This record gives sequence, structure tokens and C-alpha cells, in this order.
Amino acid sequence: MKSRPLLLLTPMLLLGALFLLGIGNALVQSFGYIPAFHLTDFTLRYYEEIFEKPALLDSVVVSLEISIVSSVLATVLGVALCAALVYTGNVRGKTLQVVKLPILIPHTVVALFVIMVLSQGGLLARTLYALGLLNSQKDFPAILYSSSNLGIIIAYIWKETPFIAYFVLATMSSVDSTLGEAAENLGASEVRSFSQITLPLSMPAVTKAFLIVFAYSFGAYELPFLLGATLPKALPVQAYIEYIHPDLLHRPYAMAMNGLMLVVTLLMYGFFYGLARKGDKGIGESGHGT
Amino acid sequence: MELALRNISVSLSGKEILKSISFSVGDGDLISLLGASGSGKSTLLKTIAGIIPQTGGTVMIGGAIADALPPHRRGAVIVFQDFRLFPHMTAAENIAFPMKMRGVQKEEYSKTAFALLERVHLAGYGKYKPQEMSGGQIQRVALARALAASPNILLLDEPFSSLDENLRQDMRALVLELQREYRITTILVTHDRQEALSMSDKIAVMMHGEILQYDRPERIFESPNSREVADYFGDAIYVGGIVKSGVFVSDVVRFGADRPDGPYQAMFRPSSVHIGSDGNRAFNIRRTSYQGESYRIALEHESTGIILNAILPSPCLLRADDRVSVSLDTDKVILFRDD
Amino acid sequence: MGHRRHWPLSLFLLIEIISILMPLFILIVWSLSGRWPWPDLAPEALSLRGIQSLLGGRFDILQVMFSSTGFSLVVAVLATIIGTMAARAIVFYDFRGKKLISFGSILPIIVPGTVLGMGIHVVFIYLGLSDTYLGVLLVHLICALPYTVAIMADITRAVGNKLEIQAQVLGVPVGKAFSHVTLPQLLPGILSSLSMAYIISFSQYFLTLLIGGGSVKTLAVVMVPLIYGGDRTIASAYALLFTLSSLIVFGLFELAGKKMK
Repeated sequence: MKSRPLLLLTPMLLLGALFLLGIGNALVQSFGYIPAFHLTDFTLRYYEEIFEKPALLDSVVVSLEISIVSSVLATVLGVALCAALVYTGNVRGKTLQVVKLPILIPHTVVALFVIMVLSQGGLLARTLYALGLLNSQKDFPAILYSSSNLGIIIAYIWKETPFIAYFVLATMSSVDSTLGEAAENLGASEVRSFSQITLPLSMPAVTKAFLIVFAYSFGAYELPFLLGATLPKALPVQAYIEYIHPDLLHRPYAMAMNGLMLVVTLLMYGFFYGLARKGDKGIGESGHGT
Repeated sequence: MELALRNISVSLSGKEILKSISFSVGDGDLISLLGASGSGKSTLLKTIAGIIPQTGGTVMIGGAIADALPPHRRGAVIVFQDFRLFPHMTAAENIAFPMKMRGVQKEEYSKTAFALLERVHLAGYGKYKPQEMSGGQIQRVALARALAASPNILLLDEPFSSLDENLRQDMRALVLELQREYRITTILVTHDRQEALSMSDKIAVMMHGEILQYDRPERIFESPNSREVADYFGDAIYVGGIVKSGVFVSDVVRFGADRPDGPYQAMFRPSSVHIGSDGNRAFNIRRTSYQGESYRIALEHESTGIILNAILPSPCLLRADDRVSVSLDTDKVILFRDD
Repeated sequence: MGHRRHWPLSLFLLIEIISILMPLFILIVWSLSGRWPWPDLAPEALSLRGIQSLLGGRFDILQVMFSSTGFSLVVAVLATIIGTMAARAIVFYDFRGKKLISFGSILPIIVPGTVLGMGIHVVFIYLGLSDTYLGVLLVHLICALPYTVAIMADITRAVGNKLEIQAQVLGVPVGKAFSHVTLPQLLPGILSSLSMAYIISFSQYFLTLLIGGGSVKTLAVVMVPLIYGGDRTIASAYALLFTLSSLIVFGLFELAGKKMK
């Protein structure tokens, strides 16, 4: 029945159309075309200004810093956590349930955790004080709301490490129990079996997980809003400020920033697609190797 | 190296898979572990290799206790049923892998890998990846890889089951050839009776986690020690009767039997069943099945309904519902007590 | 593999577990504390005022919690149904543009919610969907769909349609063949999809804020000013309420999954 797949896909396609409409609108407005505000010329000047105005450029740099540092660290820790789960036999059960918890907790609550632990009056400061390593509240470094964005990075790492571990778990566990076992049987120690066989074969899944967390941490609003410095603000926060600015002529700037976020994340996505064509597959086909 | 198992027991997830298994394999021998799926054969292989720890008993390789050795140091190499070639490596790299792990230098392991490829008739396939190879080729690479590990014991887990018939014959011959040449103590796990009978120095028949009989193929076939072992090789026909004063008496046959009085089942193979035309023609032919070079004849005793099977060479002139006489050759009969 | 000692990995695992549970523990302590001044490591006194503020207060926060839960459950059910249908089309049929749709369905995960929100906001205003529950529902669906389609595609592929076709061949009508044969086998995936979509919707902040304006009050949005308002005890109480309500619903889904095994 030729029409059957179309029928089944209709709701998803409609939502997809809505999605594309939204993205398309953002792009169009980023080129300065907003008839409602009497802006009818297509221009690249809003994009140009992002790279010319130091304040706006700083936002881009801050966002990149945050997402690259947090994603790389979260991926390394996540892979280590995944290996720990596989090699200690905790692929199912209560331990895994606990490890999955951060996935259920929204970023808005995670920000509160970071404040409770890492603020100048927070638990870490109090512990150091109790141990005699700190003299007063002010001596504790201002991790939060500072331009190092350490608080944001730590928050993302806390939340993303378990996500990456869980994302890679099925693959790593399956490779380990078949090919990893064969490698050990052929004379490879556990460490070498992991580094030569299990890890390399888990890399497609690890890379996908990295791309997902990178794209997310680059464009997400909540954490930079709640834990970020006054200046420079991360890209999504700055974009939103421009968006709700009472002077409507700021709107194209907001959209240009959105456009920039879109381009960066789509580049990531293109990378994902490229990975998929190299032997790993997308949703519609069987995606298991070996 | 010799392999000795002493009272090996294995339990997994609360279930007892292997129950106090003991046997030895002489250096350079090839023995078959024969049994149906679920009898515990693969588990036993993994226990010998150290992948699954035993809950009781000892594994001894080359006269020394191997229990403390981790899998990567035992030298008991498994060729798995699903082959498990590393998909991100070429055939040559797969074969070189165990040598690399042992610290062999690149020049030497490259040479050896290519030599082994030739040995398994895959010269020139070194740069192929597993995804680009056929089932038979993959298996040969897996075999070469196992040999490259210089195993003390070679464990083959139903290696031919995923191949078609013609390929199977070739592979069996290759395995035997290599095993003899390298003199590797080998255990072949299989559920194929013909394979076990034709390839092994000895056969261990396994059922429900226990070894029922461990002996040379001829003795297992001709002198099974229980009905289960006899039945495993199929084609066992049973005639029930009683032994009294040294004679076995039944509705279709009687013969002298040096056994205590009591009820027994007499086991015959089809080769002991002879069809003739003189005599009382007490049997009815139920069915004839064409098998190529021979026919299988199913015979029913008119008065008692006892069923016997016979084998006649082609061409066969008998048809269903013909009446014939049957005589039983009691040379190789085996009596099992019927309690 | 399990019988070998892996103490460095076990230690790492333990550290990770502690770092996950500790903040939750602190949250509970804070929400039950009276005064907890610097530099004490434990509150001076415990108090119920945090809990009381949940029950009193001008928001009737419990009402918001229940309606948010209900709303996100609706999102979850719809996302799962749509995802199941789309997964079925992708797995069992071949059609032009299938690869495109396959990869296109992942876009909402990669493209930031901020871009989507600010882009679609004007479109919604034009369509009269901004500041409405329907508008927020649609946006939540867009966010949840990539996950539900992926989860259902995986399980649909694993289950296959052989048994369903077998049933049809035996004379069972198409709809019944699906509902009686395939659907029960899809249940683990359905539960997984429901819980994933639920969490995505329930936790959503920026999009609900932007698209819903002041009219759509979900717990995730309402609690933010309360959490960052200054009183740590009250902040913790609200955060705890949110966390517990997510965990309970999620836990119920997991329990249902276990019951089915």
C-alpha cells in the first residue's frame, strides 16, 4: 500500500514542517528581512557586526569555551564511567539506576546544586574552613558568576558524564562481551583488549554522544543564564536579551546570533551525518556492527 | 599439552550447568564434545579457557594447575561459533593480533600472518576486511588467528554449523590437517554425530551437564553404556523382553544372554535387521524412504506392533504393505535393563 | 569478567555515585533546615517552614505540579504515538526521501532550543498559538519526537513484523494483528519512550517560558524565580518538590516495565 507510509508519517512531517518554519524564519530575519519592521533588504551586516563588536564576539568565544571544555571533559569521564560499569559488571541493576539520575534532573535544579556546593558560602568552602584551609568566605575563589564560567562547566559535566556513559553503554557492553572476550582469549590483557578492541569499536557511539552534548551546551539557555558572569554573556543569553529588547531594531542581531548557533550546530550535525555514512547507520536501518 | 579436568562444576545465575566433569585429553589428541544444545558444551569450553570461572574443581593444562591463570595467559584459545573477527582490522591484522599481544616484532608477525593465510588457502586476502569476506573465508581467518596464538589447547565451538555442507567437508579436512601438523591438543564441540565419529580420537558424549561416556568412536557407537548415548547416534531400535535363566525372550527374537533375570530392552542397529522372504512373514512394510544410495524400511510386526528399521541398498523392490520375514543379527545387540 | 578485581574502576564508580547522590542529599537537608549560617557544616535547627511554604504560598504550587505532570503526560503519550507511527513507516517501508527523513528527525536534538524558540515564536504569534497550552504542547512535541522515533524504531526493528504478517495470513484483520500481536511486544520500547518524552517535557524551561509567556504555568518555569529568590531553604524545598515529582513519575514507568518482564 503506497500511501501507508505517508499516512503514518503525516503527524511527524507536520511537526517537522513547523520546526523548519521556525528555523527558516530565524534565518530570514537574520539577514535583515523583517517586513513588519520595515526592513526589506537582505544583508549580511548583522553577522558582520557580531564579529566586529568585541562584546558580541566575546559571547561567541565564551559559548565555544564552555561547550568545548565541558563536552571534552564529560566525554572522557563518561567513557571512563562506561568502562567502569562494564568491567565491574554493573551493566544492569541499582548502580546503573543511580548513575542515570542526573539525566532526570533539569539544568535549573543542577544550577542550584552548583550554588549550594561551590558558592563562596557553599559546602566546599565550609568544608575547607572546617579543615582549617580557609580563613573566611571571601578567601574562597569566586567560581560562580565569573568569567571563567567554571560553575557552568562543572554543572554541564555533572549532568553530561552519566548521559554519555549511558548512551555508549549498550555498544561498549556488547563489544566487550563478544570481541573483547575473544581478544583476551587470544592473549590480550584486559587493558590492551580495551584499548585495541573495545574502545576503538565504541568510538562511533562516543562521537555521537559528544556531538549531542556539544551542540546542547553551545546553544542552551538555562545554565549560562543562572550561573553566568555579568559580562560577557554566553551566546544564547545575549541572543535572548537582544530578542526581547524594547528597541525592535535589535531583533536582527538576535537572529544573527541564532543563525550563528544554527551554523555551528549544523556543522556538527554534518559531521554526524558523515560519520553515519562511514559504516554506522541512522535511524532507518539496522545499526549494529560485527 | 595434556588437558585434565577434575570434578569441574559450574553454576550460572543459580542454575547448575556443569556437574562434576572429569576427563583428560592426551597431548596432540583431537576429541569431540558431542551433545545437544543446552547440554553445557560451550560453557565447558569457556571454563577451560578461563572465561567462566568454575564453582568447583580444577583445570590442569600441561600437568600444572591453570585455575589461577587469567584467560589471556592460559593458552586455551577458542574459535567461537560467531567467529568474532575484529571488524576494524584486515584479515592479516586479525591474524597478527595474538602475536602482537605477545610482543612479537612487526617483521616476524607479518611474515607469519601471511604464511598462515596461505596455509588456510587464503593467500592474497590479507588486506580484506571481515565484512568483505564470505562465511567460509571468515572461518578460515578465525582458525588462522587461533593458530597464530600458538595455543596449548585449541577449542573449537561448533565451528562448522553456519557453513553449508560442501564447505563443511573441506573445513573438517583442513582442521584435521592443521591439527595433525601442529600437534595441538584440540577439543571440538559439535552436535553432528558424523563429524564426531569421523574426526575424533575420542568422543565425550555430554547431556545435561554431565559426561555420559568418553571413549573411542567405535566403542561409543558399538558399546554405548546407556540408552541415552545409544539414542544420540540415532537409528537405535528397541525390542522389549525378559531374560530368564540366561536367555533373552521376546516376541520377535530370542538369544542367549549372560545377564541377571529381569526385564530388558534389546538394542539393535538397522544394519542388524535382515529382510527375507522365507519364514513366517510376520512383518508388514509400513514405509520405504529413499535416501539416495539406500532405502530406509520401516517394518511393523503384525501381531505386536513392534517397529523395526532396516536399511537396504538401492534399488529397492519392496513396497508398502508387502509382507516380509525379518531376522535379527544378535552379534552386536546390547541389552539395557528396563526398570 | 566480573570475578576479576578492578579496584581502580570500582573506586571511580563509587566517587561518581557519591558525587551524584551528595547534591540530592544536601538538597534534602537544606529544605528541612531552619537557620544554617556560615560556617556551620550542619543546620542549626531543622524546620518545616520550607515544606510549609510549598503548601501555602500564593501559587498553590501543588496545583501547578499536578497540572504540569498531567500536561507532560499528554505530551509523552502523543509523542509516543506519533513516534511509533513514524518508526513503523521508516522500518518497514521503502520510500523516496527516507534517508532524509531519517536524519531530519534528529535535527531538534542538534539545533538549540533557543534558536527554535526565537524563530518559531513569531510564527506562533501569527498563528495565534503563542501564550497557549497548545503552542507549548507543539513545541514540546517537536523536542521529544527525535527521541521517541529513535527508541520506537529500535524496538520496531527488533520485533519485526513476521508474527504480524503470520497473523494476517491466518485471517486476522490488519488492525487486530497489530494490536494483539505486535503492540504487546513493543511495550518495553513504549514505556521507555513515554518516560523519555515525559522528562523532556517536564524539565523544559526556556521554550515553555518563551512560547507560553505568562499564561502557561508549568512547574519547571514557575519554580525558577522561587529557587533563585534568595531564601535557600525555600529554594531547596521547591527544587526538591520538582525532583521528587519527576523521580516518582519516572519510577512508576520503570516499575511498569519491570512488571511486564
